[in-house]
Amino acid sequence: MNDLTQSTLAQPKVVGQRTPRIDGEFKLTGRAGYTGELSVEGMLYGYPVAASIAHGTLERLELDEALAMPGVVDIFHHANFPRLHRSPNSMGHGDQVSEVRLPFEDERIYYHGQYVALVVAESFAQARAAAQRVVARYRQETGAISSLLDGAHDSHTEGELLEDSGTTRGDPEAAFAGAAVQIDAVYHIAAESHLQMEMHATLAEWRDDGSRLVVHESSQGVFYQRNAMARIFDLAQENIEVISHYIGSGFGNKLFMWPHAVAAAGAARELGRPLKLVLPRAQDMTGGGNRPASRQRLRLGADRDGRLNAVIHDSTTETSLVDRYVDACGSATPSFYACDNLAVSQRILALNHGTPCPMRAPGEVSGIFALETAMDELAVALAMDPVELRLRNYAHEDPESGLPWSSKQLDKCLHSAAERFGWAQRDPGIGAMRDGDEIIGYGMAACTWFAGRQPCQARVELRADGTLFAACGTQDIGTGTYTIVAQTVAELTGVAVADIEVKLGETSLPTGPLSGGSMATATTLPAVAAAVRDALSALKEVATGHGGVFAGVDADSLTVAEGALSDGERSHSFAEVLEAMRLSSVNGQGSSAPGEEKKQYSFRSFGAHFVEVRVDPSISRVRVARVVSSMDIGRAINPPTARNQVEGGIVMGIGMGLFEKLDYDPRDARLINANVADYIVPVHADIPEIDVELLDYPDFKFNEFGARGVGEIGLTGIAPAISNALYHATGKRYRDLPVTIEALLADHASG
Amino acid sequence: MMDDSVHSPTRRGTPAPTLNVNFTLNQQPISLEVAPNAVLLDVLREQLGLGGTKKGCDHGQCGACTVHVDGQAMNACLRLAVMCEGQHVTTVEGLAREGELHPVQQSFLACDAFQCGYCTPGQMMSATALLNDARIGSDDAAVKEAMSGNICRCGAYKNILTAIQQARATLADDATRRAGEGTP
Repeated sequence: MNDLTQSTLAQPKVVGQRTPRIDGEFKLTGRAGYTGELSVEGMLYGYPVAASIAHGTLERLELDEALAMPGVVDIFHHANFPRLHRSPNSMGHGDQVSEVRLPFEDERIYYHGQYVALVVAESFAQARAAAQRVVARYRQETGAISSLLDGAHDSHTEGELLEDSGTTRGDPEAAFAGAAVQIDAVYHIAAESHLQMEMHATLAEWRDDGSRLVVHESSQGVFYQRNAMARIFDLAQENIEVISHYIGSGFGNKLFMWPHAVAAAGAARELGRPLKLVLPRAQDMTGGGNRPASRQRLRLGADRDGRLNAVIHDSTTETSLVDRYVDACGSATPSFYACDNLAVSQRILALNHGTPCPMRAPGEVSGIFALETAMDELAVALAMDPVELRLRNYAHEDPESGLPWSSKQLDKCLHSAAERFGWAQRDPGIGAMRDGDEIIGYGMAACTWFAGRQPCQARVELRADGTLFAACGTQDIGTGTYTIVAQTVAELTGVAVADIEVKLGETSLPTGPLSGGSMATATTLPAVAAAVRDALSALKEVATGHGGVFAGVDADSLTVAEGALSDGERSHSFAEVLEAMRLSSVNGQGSSAPGEEKKQYSFRSFGAHFVEVRVDPSISRVRVARVVSSMDIGRAINPPTARNQVEGGIVMGIGMGLFEKLDYDPRDARLINANVADYIVPVHADIPEIDVELLDYPDFKFNEFGARGVGEIGLTGIAPAISNALYHATGKRYRDLPVTIEALLADHASG
Repeated sequence: MMDDSVHSPTRRGTPAPTLNVNFTLNQQPISLEVAPNAVLLDVLREQLGLGGTKKGCDHGQCGACTVHVDGQAMNACLRLAVMCEGQHVTTVEGLAREGELHPVQQSFLACDAFQCGYCTPGQMMSATALLNDARIGSDDAAVKEAMSGNICRCGAYKNILTAIQQARATLADDATRRAGEGTP
């Protein structure tokens, strides 16, 4: 039997194996407690009143009728909400928030949906009914900036140029000017909504005469919220607890706290009663985060053989008037293709929107749309197969850092996905492939997402009842973190997954990372593994000490297998070891952090998507019929949940490509489609055949588990693969997302 | 500018009128006092503590609140609680029987047909309804069309479809077995 003490995870038994989610039954029976359905004794309900204008001043609130409504307890607003402090809003210090302006801070209206009052009542229905009777009088002003893409902002000289967000190598302008083949195009992507199924929700409860605050929040980062709340309410961190056991997903908009949580906690303190606030969907969409619209100019210069000698990527993205968000579109570009002359620049333009925030694959997904569409345009200009163009410019080391890749299998992704897709059967002629009334288009794109790690701590207990317990203050947003933590503990102890309890999502637990950036797996598992080893070490100490079942045996000689210690002759279960000493448990602490490896290697995941679209020109209908993808993500800890992540990213990419657009009225910057019917996302009937392959090349240079993370990469590259397939089908180059039926109709009419 | 006289934390609005409603919930008779404007979804979640039925939009647009009313899949956010008088309402909490997961729940677990789990109760309630609906075909296209009122933003649609078709097979096997046991 293998000794798990010496396990290197090179040949794991549980890690990398299909493992049903350990939280699955709770979710499937309705017993998983998401924030919005929690309740505590004496709880009140809050319902915000949101500004109906985007630009102006709140002149007055008429509250008499609302205050007289059944069950209404109070209404908070600028004149009576307690004066609080702002968060320092620092990523490095862990108190970043999504929007630094406090609720009701002033009477200026910066965006549609900004909170102007909070109605508090005894029931949800009462709070909502009363909120609808609050009358707000505004002085609306002209000149609201509605969108980067509203036609009034066509210049690339507008907005603030971020000097520290750019990079340059070589002499890109000269190289571009002298290139034999040039591509110079502008790409627009509409603002998107995360539209996570569970709206932002807070349940705030002050305890011990208001000296302690317990907050349940649907959050991707409980520690960031705790730290920010400590600054905002001027409390010691240890007097605040933030809890998030189940999260109805987030996709980035629950990474950092929003003002609704401050409003809820402030009102709860004033009233001396717990308060629950679940944002209505419209407010979740106006003020709960969005992916900002982007405008990108991409210039590619190449020789006649298709070798890139210039890449210039200039981006402008939106931010708000009350905070500063940068969606770094060009961040993947310097590392994508081998090219000696490159420049990336970034601008931001402040406008009358709720503050944008990271949305799944932030920045890079937008940049990759521009880059990978431009690469397709270059392939067309060169009359070269687009797969061949990508292989010809393959970056065998990271061209930006000059470091070797830890593990890069993009070539295998391209070959494998092309083979499964049947790319060789593609007739490159425009509209050359037909099936009845439908034109078939084939398109492809490469994709990438960086691999990162954060510091992390974890705790593991071995218990006398034979079960194990693992705890870490990260979150499971639906990616399967609960389960991979249990797999890790099972792998290193030989105890069955069913006998392992996992606790996440509390600031009382050891400090864990944000659930974001595809970093949670590579961050959390090494800390859990360290905690397991520490606990096993404690157990061996107990076992070999005076009165222990292995008294006098050298602790280092004991081996671990199947939940037991062995000296080669005798074997005792963990429980027997503990019971012999009358112990309830032993504890192990573990921590991990990124180290020297970042100086030696560059870490990125790569992949390739191949897409078939079908266009019915008589009704300008586009459908994605097939997606075939290969992903190089290192090792998948739990292959079904990892594949589920990639498939979900592909679905979201179809939305980005064809459907999703936050529509801001160009006259007054009001969000027109702040509801789930008018903001269109893919539904069951939109889903094509999806064939995802996860290559199995564990990245042991990154961590001992070989995992690089999987949450974002599936989304990157889908939209350009779709637009490239549309070009193949129609001969029209679609550089603006989403490619709506209106755009197809316009081209059809003019073409 | 603000009139401070209207702000008083101790002030309370008028008492709320209620109506009595009687219906069957997850096979148990229930009698409730509810506000006339109380929505079934909010009564389930806030008054009865049945949080399995989710709120995703409150507008009948996302399907997360799907329940069965007299066997039909319906959006609980679009029904007043008082409309349920005399009806049979089933929520996700009523799917499992005697501690055993419903075949649809089992197949959702086996096929990993969810991620965050928030839309999942609604997906399963629509799925169980369509599997009992003779009007809806058994092919993938028909199932996808019938399920298109249930949004899954995590995008687990492929696995949801697989799970529904697997549950269909399980239910058919169970029916065959029961028929076999019934013969002498």
